[in-house]
Amino acid sequence: MIFSVYIINKAGGLIYQKDFNEGLAKLTSNEYLVLAGTFHSVHAITSKISPVRNVTSTGLEVLEADTFKLCCYQTLTGTKFLIIADPNHPNIDNVLHRAYDIYSDYVMKNPFYAPEMPIRSELFDLNLAKLIKSVGG
Amino acid sequence: MSQNTRLSMTSSLHDTRYARRTSVVERNLNKTRSAEVGLSAFAFLFSEMLQYTQKRVQGIQDLERKLNDFGYRVGTRFLELITWREKNNRREISVLDILYFIHTTVWKALFGKQADSLEKSTENNDEYMISDNEPIISKFISVPKDLASLNCGAFLAGIVEAILDGSQFPARVTSHTLPIEGYPLRTTILIKLDAEVLLREEQIK
Amino acid sequence: MIDENISSTSPPPSISHLMSHHSTTSQLTNTSMLSDSRLVNIDEEAKLVYGVVFSLRNFVRKLSGSQDGFISYRTSQYKLHYYETPTGLKFIINTDPNVESLRPALRQIYVNFYVEYVVKNPLSPVEHPGGDGVNNEYFRAAVDKFIKSLAVFDS
Repeated sequence: MIFSVYIINKAGGLIYQKDFNEGLAKLTSNEYLVLAGTFHSVHAITSKISPVRNVTSTGLEVLEADTFKLCCYQTLTGTKFLIIADPNHPNIDNVLHRAYDIYSDYVMKNPFYAPEMPIRSELFDLNLAKLIKSVGG
Repeated sequence: MSQNTRLSMTSSLHDTRYARRTSVVERNLNKTRSAEVGLSAFAFLFSEMLQYTQKRVQGIQDLERKLNDFGYRVGTRFLELITWREKNNRREISVLDILYFIHTTVWKALFGKQADSLEKSTENNDEYMISDNEPIISKFISVPKDLASLNCGAFLAGIVEAILDGSQFPARVTSHTLPIEGYPLRTTILIKLDAEVLLREEQIK
Repeated sequence: MIDENISSTSPPPSISHLMSHHSTTSQLTNTSMLSDSRLVNIDEEAKLVYGVVFSLRNFVRKLSGSQDGFISYRTSQYKLHYYETPTGLKFIINTDPNVESLRPALRQIYVNFYVEYVVKNPLSPVEHPGGDGVNNEYFRAAVDKFIKSLAVFDS
């Protein structure tokens, strides 16, 4: 089961947040913004505190908690896609990549979208919902 | 000075890199199969066109008119090309033939598929409609609520208008979103032929 | 603060941190040879690790509502396992990304070594101001031995 999808722009601002299933606490939009900001900085630090020498580590990719797991995919352009799902959900990476596909089609190719700004796009909502449904919600 | 250096740099780049490749003007006009344009490339270009236009107009109608103009410029050029490619200089003289030509041949050349329907208006004798269930040009476009009445198909209407004009069937062409079940983006191009066209049609019958 | 550096061949990176409820790191034990060319020095790292763990723990609390939700995170290169005692002590161990959860091991360190050698030691301070750390021979040796005995240590 997939709980929610977040998209964070390269400056750490939350530009998309949607819940698909009940299971997590409901927060105010301001709290979501703060969470996204927190995640953004934590993500940067986690790559810095890697104990492995001579290899650059990515930032946080998977966060495990008792009631959910959070998977993060950072694109080469710095945008972060986050999916929060139940801990046993398989193959989230694939879903993240497909969400990125949908984003590049229905957000970036939409003439009414201003880059780095919150996403309000009917077709994006529609196709993302379709994707989430196809992987079992 | 710096301009000069830049110019010479580009030209040398041009010499070494692109000289041996056939340029677009040297390519055979008839070659269509491998001359398709990537949908993404088109979508980004069209998106920029829309953004450019949007900054320079007042109101939705103005925007649609501009898009129509853009389409018109494409249409006149495209008619030239497609006549050469597809028709062996044959010329359509009846309304139905030219509309059918647009519905099938033109659509296929532009979008890789035929339009989904060609209808005659039951109310007005001079009106025809060509509909596309999933218009490629607005495939990635979500129109925001404050512009809800905007129809990006105006570009398409411009193309159709130019083709009709160029074939001596002057008409006023507009585009409308008329969703039907399963096809929320279905776009109908409404063609209102000039009176003289109908008159001529009567005479040659 | 102890920074122990023991050579061993092909180890998975493993550093264990132990933190009190203040932002001071009480003990850092480094059981691998990877420490000498780190991106940041160990003091600096301790602060960053504390910040990350603290933020993530609050992040998880906010989302799931549970007190003890944060288990671990991983990047392409390492995995950080987390265990927090009811008293607010935080135990952390870093491994390579494919290791299963080491939460039970961290709990064992708390129960068998921290409580035994630190809490029950009358000479050990209750708080650790100024980052003095758990400067305790027994504890250090026991943790060191324990981590090396873990099945994942040289797998």
